Amino acid sequence: MPKLPKLNCWEYMHCKYGPEGGKPCPVTSDETSNGVNGGKNAGRICWTVTDTFCFDKPMGQFSEKRDICFSCDFFNHVKKEEGSQFHHFKLAQGVKGTHELHDTISNIEHLFTIHEGLCSHFDLNETLREITSDARRITGAQRSIVFLLKGDPASLFGEFSVKGRKHQVIIKVDESSAVGYAAQHNRVVNLRDLYKDSHSMNEIVFSKSFDKQCSCVTHSFLAVPVQDSGERVIGVITAANSKKGFFSADDEWFMRTYATEVALAVEKQKFLHQSFSALRLASIGETVAGLSHCIKNIAHALQGSSYIIKRAIDSNNVRDIKVAWEILDRHIERLANLSLDVLTYDPSAHKGELGTSLNDLISHVVKLFQEEARARAITLNLELGEGVDPCSINARGLYRCLVNLITNAFDACPLSEGVVTLLTKRTGEKELMISVSDNGRGMDEKSKAELFNLFRTSKADSGTGLGLPTVAGIVRDHKGRIEIDSAPGRGTTFLIYITELPISPSSDTKLNE
Amino acid sequence: MSSKAKIMVVEDNIDETKLIKMALEPEGYEVVTVINGKEAREKISAERPDFIVLDVMMPEMDGFAFCSWLREKSEFNKIPVVLLTGVGQHIYDTKYPLKGVMEADADEYLEKPVKPEVLLETISRLLKK
Repeated sequence: MPKLPKLNCWEYMHCKYGPEGGKPCPVTSDETSNGVNGGKNAGRICWTVTDTFCFDKPMGQFSEKRDICFSCDFFNHVKKEEGSQFHHFKLAQGVKGTHELHDTISNIEHLFTIHEGLCSHFDLNETLREITSDARRITGAQRSIVFLLKGDPASLFGEFSVKGRKHQVIIKVDESSAVGYAAQHNRVVNLRDLYKDSHSMNEIVFSKSFDKQCSCVTHSFLAVPVQDSGERVIGVITAANSKKGFFSADDEWFMRTYATEVALAVEKQKFLHQSFSALRLASIGETVAGLSHCIKNIAHALQGSSYIIKRAIDSNNVRDIKVAWEILDRHIERLANLSLDVLTYDPSAHKGELGTSLNDLISHVVKLFQEEARARAITLNLELGEGVDPCSINARGLYRCLVNLITNAFDACPLSEGVVTLLTKRTGEKELMISVSDNGRGMDEKSKAELFNLFRTSKADSGTGLGLPTVAGIVRDHKGRIEIDSAPGRGTTFLIYITELPISPSSDTKLNE
Repeated sequence: MSSKAKIMVVEDNIDETKLIKMALEPEGYEVVTVINGKEAREKISAERPDFIVLDVMMPEMDGFAFCSWLREKSEFNKIPVVLLTGVGQHIYDTKYPLKGVMEADADEYLEKPVKPEVLLETISRLLKK
């Protein structure tokens, strides 16, 4: 039985973009893939070709269309036909056989691992570090720099570290260097002998100064452009090695594929950055609206009480003066607390205020509450842990934290039988614990879940709704965490774990606030 | 009908309730206070107020919910209602997208801080209608 001919994609799919059509697909003219999987040009490895016309429109790069291609009938047809000889990707020239097939499959797996690695970062600098590390691993390069296009007019900005010191490099997008050339023409540049093949003397001068800082000699240099989803060059990845002719066609191909992942990662960072900025603006809007609500309520009470006082003075009504005065006084304090909470809620408001004694700070705050505890018949206990001091803490922030937590504990206490206990403990080399507990009514799960919502307060008369979010912000500053142990009828304990801050040379606890 | 008119103040904030009461009683009004819409619903038949001063944000049953309930009851739906709130229009629109003053069918909507004189004038005007 005669063997059936191996069909190319345009034949199998009866596509109108074949070589005889009016608008042939790029697959039909990619001679570099001729013969792969037994096809004409890239006819049987079409998934690797950029902008194929599969659905009557350019499909984009491999990384964008990969899922569609791998589920395509034709892909699976070729895979089945070729069996063990199937090539996912075209191999470098002269490379054949199962051993190289395994290399190719491991390359694909490597690419997926790289993809996952790049996607895991939320910080651009970490992503760039990952990129240069990958580039060195993929190609065996000794050095790698990622250049990103910035500025107007655009230049290529790159950074590298030598012995812990950062150096910045700026390169123009023109033909005076391999990097600039790669960006300008969107082409891979592979210099096998830098001192013979370089584009201009600038290159050699750059390389020599770069080499001097790294104490090395560059002979091979690879520059691969990075394109975004709109096919605009957004940067260049470079790889360098001291051996001549070091980077192969395989390295070029793999780095091109890798550059696609790099573009996606960089675009993702930009998108995240924009999203976070938008979220911050939305959050600011929400905060301002919530603050406005809080202030309005306080102003309402101030206006009402001042009206009553004025009228009561005119009519000599001492009783009304006393009642209204108490309300006025309470709301003035609430306004003061709100402004303090707002200030402390803003992390930038308390940088540099380092203290060295948590036990002293807590003792001072407890002393401030003694009078109120006596008036409300609350037993206020203090247990200071050993080994807590000296320590490095945000004194002002923690002062505010303690005031908020003790105030809440007092408010939660039952009448005349309240007990509030404060405790400090060193729980690790750099970790401290503060616990504030009360014997109040306790909280159910729903209340616990809403506890740190901004402006949510259970205290209509006196709460600002900022107290606990402020506490959370200060604890976050200390890279700490908050645990709450509470249940209805069982009281509540707040456990605050904080990590000591980096020590400053001059730090005294500011207690007299 | 302004003197001896009975005003129900629906407000969960004790200080605000006290202040409204102290502002209204010297003007000849009889004032009853409840702490939220649910208590207002329970007591309205017994109290039979001539006017309602209603806060919006209260636990268990807020001002909008109470006002909607009130307008469905033929025996109460003629009682004038003024809504007091510290919620600005922005949050009002986002927190209560399906509700509004028109849907709640209150007679007047006063945004805090409200001057007592303004509240007194509003009550007097609406009672005369």
